[in-house]
Amino acid sequence: MDEKRNELKKIIMDTKTLPTLPGVINKLNALSDNDKSSVQEMARIVSSDQVLSARILRLANSPSYGFYRVSTISNAMILLGVNVVKSLALSSSIFEIMEKNSVGLWEHSLGVGVASNMIAAKLGLPECEEIATAGLLHDIGKVIISLKCSEAEEEVRRVINEKRVYMREAEQEVIDTDHAEVGGWLAKSWFLPDKLSEPINCHHNVETSENHRIKTAVVHIADVLIKASGFGDSGDDYVPQIQQAAWDALKLNEQTVTELVEDLEDKLVEVKNFSLELQQNTDAAPN
Amino acid sequence: MLPPIRISLVSSDAQLTSQLQLRLQSRGHQATAMSYIDGVLGAFYSDPPDLLIVDLFADGNAGMTIVTALRSDSFFSTIPIIGLVSPADYDLFPWETYPLDDVLFLPINFSELFCRIALSFSRINRIFDNNPLTRLPGNTSIQRAIEDAMGKPLAVCHVDINHFKPYNDAFGFSHGDEVLRMLSRIMFNAVRDAGGGFCGHIGGDDFVFIASLAQVEPVCQTIIDHFDQIVLDLFDEATKRQGYYNGTNRKGEAEKIPLLSIAIAAVPMNSDKIRHVAKVAEMAAELKKQAKETEGSHFVVDQRKG
Repeated sequence: MDEKRNELKKIIMDTKTLPTLPGVINKLNALSDNDKSSVQEMARIVSSDQVLSARILRLANSPSYGFYRVSTISNAMILLGVNVVKSLALSSSIFEIMEKNSVGLWEHSLGVGVASNMIAAKLGLPECEEIATAGLLHDIGKVIISLKCSEAEEEVRRVINEKRVYMREAEQEVIDTDHAEVGGWLAKSWFLPDKLSEPINCHHNVETSENHRIKTAVVHIADVLIKASGFGDSGDDYVPQIQQAAWDALKLNEQTVTELVEDLEDKLVEVKNFSLELQQNTDAAPN
Repeated sequence: MLPPIRISLVSSDAQLTSQLQLRLQSRGHQATAMSYIDGVLGAFYSDPPDLLIVDLFADGNAGMTIVTALRSDSFFSTIPIIGLVSPADYDLFPWETYPLDDVLFLPINFSELFCRIALSFSRINRIFDNNPLTRLPGNTSIQRAIEDAMGKPLAVCHVDINHFKPYNDAFGFSHGDEVLRMLSRIMFNAVRDAGGGFCGHIGGDDFVFIASLAQVEPVCQTIIDHFDQIVLDLFDEATKRQGYYNGTNRKGEAEKIPLLSIAIAAVPMNSDKIRHVAKVAEMAAELKKQAKETEGSHFVVDQRKG
């Protein structure tokens, strides 16, 4: 079985291009034509797209630029420059796949990003933006599996329906690995810092997170809450339990979680509107 | 053994690229073929090759679009670009304005190609005075740029980093180098986004940029804002909160060293006081003292009428 896993790993390490959403590109172009728009505003738009975010971070941390610790989208954009970011966004020519098949996953990811940020802010954690980015990217492995092994993806869907299991269990059965591990490989091959790759890799298994357990715990809880709220589509309909390691890492109690759920309901309305707006722009954009 | 030279081939002619690829690989080079503009720029920005060969014959304007886009970013200016043209076409190109390093006529003579590749590299190494760390132009180009700016409505701005030496001593040269690369990118992007100008690296933590007088204040402010934001990524939470770290000052005494910040001195070039290039540096030095009087990042523009 190791063979299949190694083969998949090789395919992923070869990944040079990944899809991105055209709505983001339109917004980015409109903003960069306007002199007064700040990098922060543009970073907010970029952050709504997990694939573009990942590519920008990967580029800013790549050996050719020689920066090693860029973990926020706005800092990456400052260093790369608006032109490079725009070129990068435009060069993604296979975004149609994402547009047609993965709006649900995209909404789920967007929701987890927003929820991660909200939880981090509520608990007074430093580096909220990083945690939000980790949340946004946590399921990037699913995009890769869907792109690179579409046959396996169908099989995974079949197993989920037939056996009523979590997506990652079905993935383990079909491809002998899961989207968290695949996302972790990808993050590593993109030279993303540990504080991003570890929460991606360990979001279903908080205990295995060694250096960034708090960030991992936040992403894990955000993932569970978003699944429970029924926002977006993460691939299966089952809501897992919040792991003990996450409760411990964040010193959470039920009272705090109840407050989090209430705050989240309001936030999700905003996110939904934002998502619809981007999709409308996408539909209206000339080809 | 030297690492293989990584070459990108851009052409829509599949037969040509596969033939080229084979010959280059037989010489131990790594060759990747690409065929359309967006993909090329994306691949180029994310993983710059050592050399680019562009087919100008089959692709016409597409090839030139790529060359022009890449040449507009000085970060990539040390990458040689060789164009392929048909002998019948050679007088159609305004060669003096084309930012190519060399050309080769089709059909390709492969011994000639290998000579031209070797020559491109040696030429680039010889003529560029770019700083190897930041890849910004060095002193020869800076001198020339300042001379060109004299008497025009432009400002020559000197930038340096406050408390850079103790940072280097405390955190090590590789982190210091990263700070210099970050500042050079911030400066380059700010100047370019404001409509263009010149950026150079004098050496160490000393930089120069030239921007229009109308844009100079917003550009200085953008550089300061962006630098101050980036700097927060370089220190841990505790240091950020207290605003200093323990280090050694120039006299070798233990001291509380503040976080990194920058000072910018802007000298307008249409002033009567500027009669000689050396005067610019002298005035900048005076202004920089003012900019450094208070803690944190500051810029000062010379307002005195000459």
